[in-house]
Amino acid sequence: MLLSLLATARADAREHLQLFVVQPYLELHTGPGRGYPVTQVVARGESVDVLMRRTDWFKVRTEHGVEGWAYGPDLQHTTLANGAPFEVNLGDRAGFTSHRWESGASAGAYAGATLISAYQGLSLTDHLKVELSASQFLGNLSNGYLLDIGFSHVFMPEWRLSPFVTLGGGYERVEPKVTLAQPLTTDSQSAYFGVGARYYLARRLFLRFELRGHEVFTNQNSNEVKNEWILGFAFFY
Amino acid sequence: MDTRICILLLSSVALGCGGCAIFHRHSDQSAPSQEPTSSTASPDSDSSSAPPTVIEPQVERREIKVPTIHPSNVELGAYYGEISIQDFGAQPVAGLRLDYHISEDFFGEITYGRAKGGLTSFESLSNVLLLSDAERRFTYYNLSLGYNLLPGEVFIGRNLAMTSAFYVIGGVGSVDFAGDQNFTVNFGAGFRVLPTDWLAVHIDVQDLVFRSDVTGVAELKNNLQATIGATVFF
Repeated sequence: MLLSLLATARADAREHLQLFVVQPYLELHTGPGRGYPVTQVVARGESVDVLMRRTDWFKVRTEHGVEGWAYGPDLQHTTLANGAPFEVNLGDRAGFTSHRWESGASAGAYAGATLISAYQGLSLTDHLKVELSASQFLGNLSNGYLLDIGFSHVFMPEWRLSPFVTLGGGYERVEPKVTLAQPLTTDSQSAYFGVGARYYLARRLFLRFELRGHEVFTNQNSNEVKNEWILGFAFFY
Repeated sequence: MDTRICILLLSSVALGCGGCAIFHRHSDQSAPSQEPTSSTASPDSDSSSAPPTVIEPQVERREIKVPTIHPSNVELGAYYGEISIQDFGAQPVAGLRLDYHISEDFFGEITYGRAKGGLTSFESLSNVLLLSDAERRFTYYNLSLGYNLLPGEVFIGRNLAMTSAFYVIGGVGSVDFAGDQNFTVNFGAGFRVLPTDWLAVHIDVQDLVFRSDVTGVAELKNNLQATIGATVFF
């Protein structure tokens, strides 16, 4: 009896998502790109199984066992088995306004040294994000690393060009190249405040520019203020 | 005598029919009691005051688990090839590559590679070594953005077609060489072929450019590398 129940459960659970074509037809391409030729169409009323997704393209298998790639916006006109419309996150302006994760890489300058930076962001709301960034700076006198975590607030996330401010703290490691007159590697804590802007370029891709002022808490009498600017690409998902 | 018997039989039949009628009425009266309490009210009494109540079926709905769609946008793999480290000869290079396909046009890439510089012509002729063995290690990482310039298909024979793309790529990074870390700009082009949906073969040519004074004069160093590699899509 247990075996029969398990068999029934397995029969009920589909391995792949099933979508029903409600538009006149659904085109299937030979590859995941707009230039690949259309070799199959799925008629209205038939269904497809979604095997995988790559960017905005979905590999599907028809009821006749034919496999092909369907474009995400085309699949938005299909329905689930319960009749509900199939919804696809296409990474367009709506996704730019509201998304969960974003990542990016930038280049710029930090206190006169060349800076390479990468960051990972998590959206708490459309406006508020937590950002973790790791950077390496390469200068004439010293190299080093930055590791920062903080919050960013986007003022108009629905705008194509949307400004933001950042606030956080972190850690700075400086490795001087000339060690005769200067101390060896120093590690310091720091806090920063920044302003910036992001600009939507294409699907999932945007430009990001930021100015930051770092207050580095040193062992000396006064703290050091170091300025940073970065420009780079980022993408959201 | 026969007439009396007929009257007797007819009387008994008439009584029997009457008894059946009594039982029938009894069964009619008992039938409504089996219906749900929500509809126990007599239709005769409610027909003038309220509409008939709809019976709600007591059925437990099964929860249908919708299968998730497997995204396959991340590529992870390794490569091997040759790098021409300026002034230090052409040497084998090996590295790791992590790609994320942002859209059908753009992808981001992180690479980490290692090589080891050889002897400069000055060192070979004079037997004076400019760098120690550890300083000859050429280690780099790059953060790059790629663009699939020419997506297409390649064909092997009559029955096998594989998706492919010729792409251009560029980015920034760092090279650790000759005891110094140098800001590096990388740019180049590559060709990607996918024998299956989850496997890709890459052929890449890139230039890693950085400014260095390791040979006495600060100048831009061009380090061309050509590699072949394989990646797996996740």
